[in-house]
Amino acid sequence: MSSSRDDFGIAFRSALLQRGAAQKFSLVSLIFIAIIVFILDVYGFAFMKPIRSIINDGIYRVSLVASSPSRILPKATASVSNLFNLKNENENLKKALEVYKQKELSVEYLTNQNKNLRKILESEESFLKKENMILSKVLIDKSSPYLKSIIINRGSKSGILKGMPVMDKDYLIGRVVEINYLSSRVLLLNDLNSRIPVTFGEEGVQGILKGNGGSKPVLEYLPEGYTVEEGIDVFTSGKDGIFMPGSPIGVTTSEGDVKLFSESSQLSFVKVDLTQQNEEAF
Amino acid sequence: MSSYKLITKIINLGPLLLLYYLSISEIDTHFENFFEILSFNIQLIIIYFWVLKRPEALGSGHIFFAGLINDVVMGFPLGLSSLSYLIISLVATYVKNMTVNTRITTDWFTFFIAIFFSNVTFFILLSNFSDIRVSLTEVSYNTFFTLIFFPFFWFLFTYYNSIITPDKNA
Repeated sequence: MSSSRDDFGIAFRSALLQRGAAQKFSLVSLIFIAIIVFILDVYGFAFMKPIRSIINDGIYRVSLVASSPSRILPKATASVSNLFNLKNENENLKKALEVYKQKELSVEYLTNQNKNLRKILESEESFLKKENMILSKVLIDKSSPYLKSIIINRGSKSGILKGMPVMDKDYLIGRVVEINYLSSRVLLLNDLNSRIPVTFGEEGVQGILKGNGGSKPVLEYLPEGYTVEEGIDVFTSGKDGIFMPGSPIGVTTSEGDVKLFSESSQLSFVKVDLTQQNEEAF
Repeated sequence: MSSYKLITKIINLGPLLLLYYLSISEIDTHFENFFEILSFNIQLIIIYFWVLKRPEALGSGHIFFAGLINDVVMGFPLGLSSLSYLIISLVATYVKNMTVNTRITTDWFTFFIAIFFSNVTFFILLSNFSDIRVSLTEVSYNTFFTLIFFPFFWFLFTYYNSIITPDKNA
């Protein structure tokens, strides 16, 4: 028994402290360094912010270059489609569908405005009026099993602030959660950490759209006993003072969750809304 | 002759290059379009296998840096993935010290212990020391599928290892 315990001790100490021929550091020293780095980063010491920002910008750029082969393949596939004239036809159909969808959304939105969302109607700032947008390229959209976020090529240099809403076409897709000098991280609506105040339906029901890590976020904090019907468009309510009221988000499903208008895995360019509704909120 | 040596060197660096590439590139192993809960962590398999079978192929310093890069790309606090990877490396080194000859079944079982400690540390640190919330269910699915896919990569890497290992009888 004692011998077995000794063996364990020797093997464990050896694993921790031993440095092989190709090993320049022992495991225990690296584990210790990793813990220190983790503590410094988590507790947000002032000197870590610029360091982290520089590291982020650098690695995002390298990641963009490293990921280019994986981007070439879909482009090559699209080129083949061009040969068969499918692309043009597809694009024309998409445009027609988009116009139709936009019209439908505008009509529904304006109807709801007139009937129920008087506050939104009275507001001078409306989703339809805002022009202060900045176009950004999606640098990295690595799909993590835990976090749903993308990296865009605009940062504090372009005037981006933490919390700003991010749109794909006219649909809300998330908000900025991390800013570097040349890049930012956008937390998508389906991330587990995402919470957005929304409104929907003719009665102007208020609720919170909560990301669940899956493809369809869920509606929470609805009126007691309320049953979500299928096919109702969901808009931002603007109650948080961050998001413009009336930005379209998605449509309700029969399961009571929300199917987003914008497919988060298909993002190439997004727009960041630079309009500051409530500076304190950022 | 020199180009042959260069190619041999690159082939020997295969596991290390793969580890860095997977950490920094957009390539991911989350197949939500096929099956929503299907995700696994190849980095953990690479680290465990190569530290166990051929430690000189993956230096601890490289494992540490690959973890830091992964944290930046994924948006986790710095050092978290490094710690998770180093725990895998620690268990692999321990198993290597304690065993003489291993089979896929023993490797698979010990990998389960390694991935368990690694992901438990990852989850506890992320849940208690950062603002980021992750679902325990998602972590469990990831652990499960990583474990399920381990034998496939074991055979693949064993074959690769046989290519880069010089024949002793030659």
